[in-house]
Amino acid sequence: MSEVIAQFEGVGHQYEGGSEIFKGVTFDIKKGSFQFLTGPSGSGKTSLLRMLFLGLKPTWGSIRLFGEDPLIMSPNVLPFLRQKIGVVFQEFKLLDHLNIVENVSLPLRVLGIDTRQGYRQAQELLDWVGLADCHKAYPPSLSGGQKQRVAIARAVITRPHLLLADEPTGNVDDEMAIKLLHLFEELNKMGTAVLIATHNRLLLDSSYCAQLLLRGGTLITKPPRRMHS
Amino acid sequence: MNRQDLPLKNDIAARFVPKIVALMVYLGTLCFVFTLFMVHSTESWEKQFSTQLTLEIPTTNKASSAVLQTRVLQLLQRTPGILNATPVPHKEMADLLQGLLGEEVNVEHLTLPIVIDITLNGKEIVDVPTLEAHLKNISPQIHLSDHRGWQNQVSGLIHTSIMIALVVTVLILLGALVTTTFATRTSLLIHRQVIEVLSLIGATPTYIANQFQRNAFKQGLIASGIGSGLAFVTFIGILYLMENAGFSATVRSSFFFEALCVFLFVPLFTAASMMISVRFAVMKELNQ
Ligand SMILES: Nc1ncnc2c1ncn2[C@@H]1O[C@H](COP(=O)(O)OP(=O)(O)OP(=O)(O)O)[C@@H](O)[C@H]1O
Ligand SMILES: [Mg+2]
Repeated sequence: MSEVIAQFEGVGHQYEGGSEIFKGVTFDIKKGSFQFLTGPSGSGKTSLLRMLFLGLKPTWGSIRLFGEDPLIMSPNVLPFLRQKIGVVFQEFKLLDHLNIVENVSLPLRVLGIDTRQGYRQAQELLDWVGLADCHKAYPPSLSGGQKQRVAIARAVITRPHLLLADEPTGNVDDEMAIKLLHLFEELNKMGTAVLIATHNRLLLDSSYCAQLLLRGGTLITKPPRRMHS
Repeated sequence: MNRQDLPLKNDIAARFVPKIVALMVYLGTLCFVFTLFMVHSTESWEKQFSTQLTLEIPTTNKASSAVLQTRVLQLLQRTPGILNATPVPHKEMADLLQGLLGEEVNVEHLTLPIVIDITLNGKEIVDVPTLEAHLKNISPQIHLSDHRGWQNQVSGLIHTSIMIALVVTVLILLGALVTTTFATRTSLLIHRQVIEVLSLIGATPTYIANQFQRNAFKQGLIASGIGSGLAFVTFIGILYLMENAGFSATVRSSFFFEALCVFLFVPLFTAASMMISVRFAVMKELNQ
């Protein structure tokens, strides 16, 4: 049995004053797995990812992340768990006062890696996602699709144990979407567990991975499609 | 490369804190250096008071006074703790009096008392009441004035003012620290989105606090350096004016060395304290 990175058991959540968004969600993320998270808008995909990067606490049920229980662990552990997770946020969360090379290299800096080396790696990644000619640009001057690619580069630069991507292809054309999917697959081959929340049919159809379908507060797991030989 | 992840250089706190700190350090160092100046210039004065007694023998007729003077001097020589006793020359006394009374009074006609300056060696304690009793045995008219009671009052006053000046200096510096802490809280609010992103990508509170504290140290060093530099210029100016106005205070050269240390040390001390208080403020906020 392969190592489990994240485990949800009967997790429920209710935002203050809102209705219940999860009614006992149970699933796990194994090391090296690749899964999609789908579901209608407002079904709770972003909320589920937030629980995974410890930005949201479950109202009930239990979560284990890298063997830790977020509800009882010491707050000192939190940053070190987050260092193992790369996140592509739906709203990007780039820092407007840093140029894109600085933005992308930020996670390496946080890990204490030499700034110059960080810049070099960031530049390579940015070249790869098609942003070779705007290394010096600042996020406010970029298009939605460009920001998205910067956000992806920042999430993958540390080769995290777990990559969570929230609509990572929402703002790019199909060709770029497929290219980005390949990037995630490459990363996955190197051992990163990947969970992508998406509506993108093209992405869902061009992959043979398991899908987690969120609907009405419950989670249904669709096994991977069989590859036709 | 010394890059900042947080845009701390151009927020409100960054514009506000250096000015306040510069002003506070300016006032603080001036206050401190003037206190030091007072300590030094009163030191020699105090020492003189504590080792000096004055004795007065009224003169009725010249011959008996001379005898009295000899007996008194003999007594003084026998008394332990007295370094020397010298009668003030008659001429010197007359000149002094002439100066006080003016030319129209002829001091030659006045009978001046014999005044003996006594210098104590400062090592042994002189039993003044016993000495006074012995003197009264020689002649009840002999008057011994001990400046030490007065000196105690004066030095008490000096020490109180020094204490007050020090408390004021400390309060000023504390004010600078409180200002820094408040500005840091504002800064944390202004940059909460950046801080959120940093912590989402795994930055520890220490990492974030380092950014704030490095900035605070640099900012504090520049601002307090300016404040201290201005205080130095002001101090030199005041000394110059005092000298021109005729108040030449006698201070030892060690004072100037100490003052220089204050001007150099206060900015460093301020910057370091600012750094520490900023760190505390950030860590406290982030750990909540
Ligand atoms: N901070 C919040 N406070 C209160 N309610 C919230 C909050 N965030 C999300 N919700 C609610 O929780 C539900 C799930 O939101 P969430 O953003 O997780 O959905 P989603 O599946 O990511 O949607 P989309 O596909 O549009 O991104 C929504 O009904 C939303 O209104
Ligand atoms: Mg969402």
